[in-house]
Formats: sequence, C-alpha cells, structure tokens
Amino acid sequence: MEIVRYREDVWGREVLLGVSWDLLWLVIAATFIVIMVHAAIMLARKSGPRPSADGERLSRHAAQDRWFHWITAAAFFVLLATGVLPIVGVKFPWLTAHWVAGIVLTAAIVFHIVRSLFWKDLAAIWIKPSDLAELAGGAAAPLPGKYSLAQKGMHLAMAVLVLVAVGTGIAMLVQIDTPWWARSNFLSEAALGWMFLLHGLSTLALIGFAALHLYFTARPEKQFYLRAMVKGWVSRSELAAHHDPARWTPDAAASGDAAQASPGLGADAR
Amino acid sequence: MTAYDVMPDIELYQPATVEDATELAARLKGSAWLLAGGQDTYGWLKDRAKTVEAMIDLKGIDALKGIRETPGGVEIGALTTLTEIVRHPLIGERYPLLREAAAVVASPQIRNMGTLGGNLCQDTRCWYYRRGLSCYRAGGNTCYADSPAGMNREHALFGASRCVAVSPSDTAIALSALEATMIATSRRGSREIPADDFFVGPDVDIVNMTALAADEVLASVRLPDRWANAEFHFEKVADRNVWDFALVSIAAALRMRDGHIENARFACGGVACVPYRLPAVERAVVGKPRSESTGEQAAHLASRGAKPLNHNQFKVPLMENLVRRALRG
Ligand SMILES: Cc1cc2nc3c(=O)[nH]c(=O)nc-3n(C[C@H](O)[C@H](O)[C@H](O)COP(=O)(O)OP(=O)(O)OC[C@H]3O[C@@H](n4cnc5c(N)ncnc54)[C@H](O)[C@@H]3O)c2cc1C
Ligand code: HEM
Ligand code: SF4
Repeated sequence: MEIVRYREDVWGREVLLGVSWDLLWLVIAATFIVIMVHAAIMLARKSGPRPSADGERLSRHAAQDRWFHWITAAAFFVLLATGVLPIVGVKFPWLTAHWVAGIVLTAAIVFHIVRSLFWKDLAAIWIKPSDLAELAGGAAAPLPGKYSLAQKGMHLAMAVLVLVAVGTGIAMLVQIDTPWWARSNFLSEAALGWMFLLHGLSTLALIGFAALHLYFTARPEKQFYLRAMVKGWVSRSELAAHHDPARWTPDAAASGDAAQASPGLGADAR
Repeated sequence: MTAYDVMPDIELYQPATVEDATELAARLKGSAWLLAGGQDTYGWLKDRAKTVEAMIDLKGIDALKGIRETPGGVEIGALTTLTEIVRHPLIGERYPLLREAAAVVASPQIRNMGTLGGNLCQDTRCWYYRRGLSCYRAGGNTCYADSPAGMNREHALFGASRCVAVSPSDTAIALSALEATMIATSRRGSREIPADDFFVGPDVDIVNMTALAADEVLASVRLPDRWANAEFHFEKVADRNVWDFALVSIAAALRMRDGHIENARFACGGVACVPYRLPAVERAVVGKPRSESTGEQAAHLASRGAKPLNHNQFKVPLMENLVRRALRG
C-alpha cells in the first residue's frame, strides 16, 4: 500500500500529488479495532455506580466556549463530508461548501485562540509532566484537574491536526477562484503537492481522532461531559468522582435555576 | 522517459456480447479502457500521455450497432459510426439536427471509424492535458490553461471549477437540444441518463466528463418523438471548416405553432465542460416568431454569467451571434 501518490509527467519527472487515499480504509479499520478493543476491556471491567447529576451545579464551559465547540464541530463535519465523500465516489459539487466551511472553521479557531490566550486559563489544557502520573491508572492514579491527561492529549492532537488542515487549506484556497480573488499561481507544483499531502494526512488523522472523540463522548461513564458541552455544567458529585476539587475549583453554574429552566447553549455558565 | 519506438503491452479483450463486455468492465474496473472507433483513444496512446493495461474492444458487439425506430422515437446503438448516422434516412427525416452535427465532426475518415458513443465519451482537447501534464484533470493539483501565461483561447466561459476545459463533442450539443436519453449498462443492470445529466462538469467530477461509472458501457442513445421534425439550427465555428474542433457551436430545436415558438431548446458547444444549455434564451423566445428581432432580443441573454479567461473573450460575441442566427430562421 502506498502512502503518497506520485505521477510521472510527460518529461519523466515524478510529480508529488498528495496522500494515497487507500490509507483511508486503513485508518477506518485501525480506528474501529481500537474502539472495539477498548469497548471490550470496559465491558469486562466492573463499572461502579455513576455519580448523580442532581444537586449543586458547577460551571464547566462558558456559553462562548460551547458555541465555539459546536460551530467547530459542524464546520469540521461539513469539511469532512465535502472533502472525503467525492474521493470515495459520491459525486456532487463539493468545493464551494468545503471552502466556505473552511473559512467558518478558520474564523472559529482564531476566536478560540484569542479567547484562550487572553481570557481563559491556558494552563488548564496544557500537558504538564505531573499529569503523566495519571497513566498509572486505577486507585494509584491521581484525579485530574479540569481536563484529564487523555482529554488534554486529544485536544493537543486535534489542535495540531486542525491547524495543519487550516494552514494548508488556506494555501490551497488562494490557488482557486473565489468571489474575492482569481486563482493565484504562487505555489509551485511541488509545493502544491506538499500542501495536498499535508492536507490529506491531517484529514486521515482527524478521521481517526474524531471517531475516538465521538466514541468516548458516547460512552456511558463520559456522557456527562457531553451534557456539560451542551448545557455548561457538571454536578458536585460528578466533579468529586472524576476530578480533583483541589486542582479544579469551578464556580457555581450561574443561576442553577436559570440553567435548569433554559438548558440551551445560551444558558450562561462562566 | 517513456519509449516511443515500441507499443506498450496491452491486454486486448474482444467480447461479442454486451454481457461479456459488462462482465469484463466489472472485472477490470479501473485498469481497462473501452475501445470503440479508437479516434480519441489512439491519440492518447500514441502520445504516451495515457497508458492502459487492458482494452475492451466493443466493435465486435453487433447489439450495440444500428439505428432503429422505437415506440417513443428512435434509438441509436452507441457503436453506430458517425457516417452511418449522417446517411441514415430516419435521422435525416426526423432529426436533421443530429445529422448536421455528425456531418461536421472531424473528417470523413474519422467519421467512418468514430462512433456515436466514442464521440460522446471522448475526452477534452485541452493541450496541456493532452500533452501529459499533471494538471487537475490528470489527477494533479493545478491548471495550466487558467494561469497568467496559459493559452486558453479554446477554453470555457461557463461552469469552470479549477479546470477550464471544454467538451469537444459536436454530437453532444445536438443530443442535448433533442432531449436525448443515454442508456448505460453494466452487470448491475441498465439505467437511463438524461443528456443534461450525462455530461458532468469539473465541479462534480474533475477527471471524468460523463456520469458513466467505471464498470458501465454506453449502450445506446434514445431520441424522443417530442422533437422529431421540429425546426432546427446547427452551426459550428472553428478555425478550419473541416477537421477541426468547435470554438463555439450551437444546436437549437424549435417547436413552432402558428408561426410562433411554442417550445425551444438551445445548447452551445465549446463554452463549457458540458453542452451548455441556454434556459434564459429558451424562456425568452417562447411565444415569439422566429425572426431577426427575436434573435436580437434574446442574444445577450446567452452570454449572461460568462467568465472569460485571458484569451477567449471573443467567444462572448460569437456565442451571441450564433443565437441571433439560430433565431432569425
Ligand atoms: C484530428 C481529429 C479531429 C477531430 N475533430 C472532431 C470534431 O470536429 N468534432 C468532434 O466532435 N470530434 C472530433 N474528433 C474526435 C472524434 O470525433 C472522436 O474522437 C470520435 O468520434 C470518437 O469516437 P471513437 O468511436 O473513435 O472513440 P474511441 O476513441 O474508441 O473512444 C473515445 C472514448 O470514449 C469511450 N467510449 C467509447 N465508446 C464507449 C461506450 N460505448 N461506452 C462507454 N465509453 C465509451 C472510450 O473508452 C474512450 O475513452 C476529432 C478527432 C481527431 C483525431
Ligand atoms: C479540518 C478539516 C478539513 C478536512 C477534513 C479537509 C479535507 C479535504 C479533502 C479530503 C480535500 C481533497 C484533497 C484531495 O483531493 O487530495 C480537501 C481539499 C480542499 N480543501 Fe480541505 N479540509 C479541511 C479544512 C480545510 C480548510 C480550513 C480550508 C480552507 C480554509 C480547506 C480548503 C480546501 C480546498 C481549497 C481544497 C481543494 C483544493 C483544490 O482542489 O485545488 N480545507 N480538503
Ligand atoms: S483546463 Fe483542465 S485539462 Fe486543461 S490544464 Fe486546466 S485542469 Fe488540465
């Protein structure tokens, strides 16, 4: 199986075209196996009682951050569908929807970076050497702060991969016609080949990581994180069961009653 | 560098039935090339711009040849040669638009060998691509024709999406104007594809010009009664009168009633990757007589939305003039 697609042009030069899409099936198969193995291990393990969602509500995600997450997710799935479906044979006019979603994703990420740098606690998501103790697992492992090592790792991987996709996507966007500019020829064929290769490799890796992200979100013991991303809060018992209150001390969800009364994304939780 | 002195090895299959051909097409999907008259194919192979491992020669399949009357119109087998179409009385009587289109294809020798199916499925003539450059259409990541130094006099005004190549087929625009249906067959069965969906632009598929899947064979083309014996106009403008591809061409079918246009279909060649229909013109001429003034009123609608490249602005007035001439009768 090839990793990279080349083409010999009329002068006998090898031209780099991009990633070999045969790898897509490998990524799908590998991700499926990882998920199945994890699910089997979890099934064999006895799961304890789940912490209650009742009682005091604590703020986990502010409304702005939840909006960012869901806009990013929507843009990502539009990008994935419009980018990959034509490659697997589903033909439709995909390019405009793709780059429009690409611009939405780029804008959302710029917003997120600025907000994270100036308004949020950047350290909460950053992997520190002390976090590695979580790898021990079981009772010996310390409880994490706001984000577990696995969550931090997932965020880091997604962040790097999305930044590669966005960076190369913007370079590719400059090479096509849009309502604002006619295509430029600033990249050589070889440089373009690298852009397509990196765009394709990041796509493949993102498919794997996004599938894992969805799987973990759907797991029963982690579903309260999904609720937190929709409604903004976790309960005091959930905090106690999964996090170390000494390392993460969230505020009360702004007006627990309001959060209950209007549980949509708009419910404010700082 | 590829050697030009010897022909590369090609596995040749010569099925005698449609079933065998579709069976082979399914089995060799992707690695085989369907061969009809060879008039497009041999150019690719001789220039070594494309190579194939296997070829499925359709010429031995009699069921794919000939022109016959059907309850709804006329059916033309995909392996029917262009010369047979030009000479066939049914086509001459009912659909002279197609006869005129087939008659101006290339040269008599090419029309003797070239088939309707091959003419419809032929690849674009963009020379960067034909010369073997690794452009979008060849699976690459850039377009040479749509670049500051690109030679794009023959290229598209409409519907470009990264690739600006045009459809070279003269018969395609006639069939689009005649509202033809293409019958595609494969081991999975047969399906009817309206002419307007048969040809696909680069926005949908940048490497294929038709909606045929890799395992499908174009079996025939059906012409509906609806447009039989209508009034027609076909005109092709090229640098040479024979043996040349259209710069711009037009095929028009006009159904008249009491001296007025009741219904019309227009398709232009050489301006898009597909036969380019002119719906605004079609709507505007309904209820009007076929006259100089109708042509004058409708002509500018034809080029609405055109996006000329560096060297093909001349196609805009050319297209408008062809609409004028089609309507003046
Ligand atoms: C010098 C020159 C000038 C020309 N000028 C013109 C012109 O003015 N106007 C014009 O319209 N054309 C022109 N042509 C193109 C020529 O008319 C067509 O190439 C010819 O009609 C193709 O028919 P063929 O049967 O020889 O196709 P082939 O070369 O056998 O096939 C062409 C393509 O169609 C596919 N194909 C063929 N039959 C089928 C089928 N039944 N089902 C699925 N796929 C099929 C093949 O796989 C191949 O990709 C010119 C060609 C040359 C060489
Ligand atoms: C993170 C999510 C993204 C995914 C999964 C993704 C996926 C893809 C895929 C699979 C392709 C086809 C590549 C090929 O044919 O080799 C593609 C092409 C393209 N992408 Fe993306 N992409 C993403 C983000 C972006 C962004 C952010 C932009 C722009 C801002 C963008 C712009 C483009 C453009 C312009 C092309 C087409 C280039 C061309 O054909 O010339 N993409 N993308
Ligand atoms: S117009 Fe199409 S076929 Fe021609 S160089 Fe550009 S991408 Fe290739």
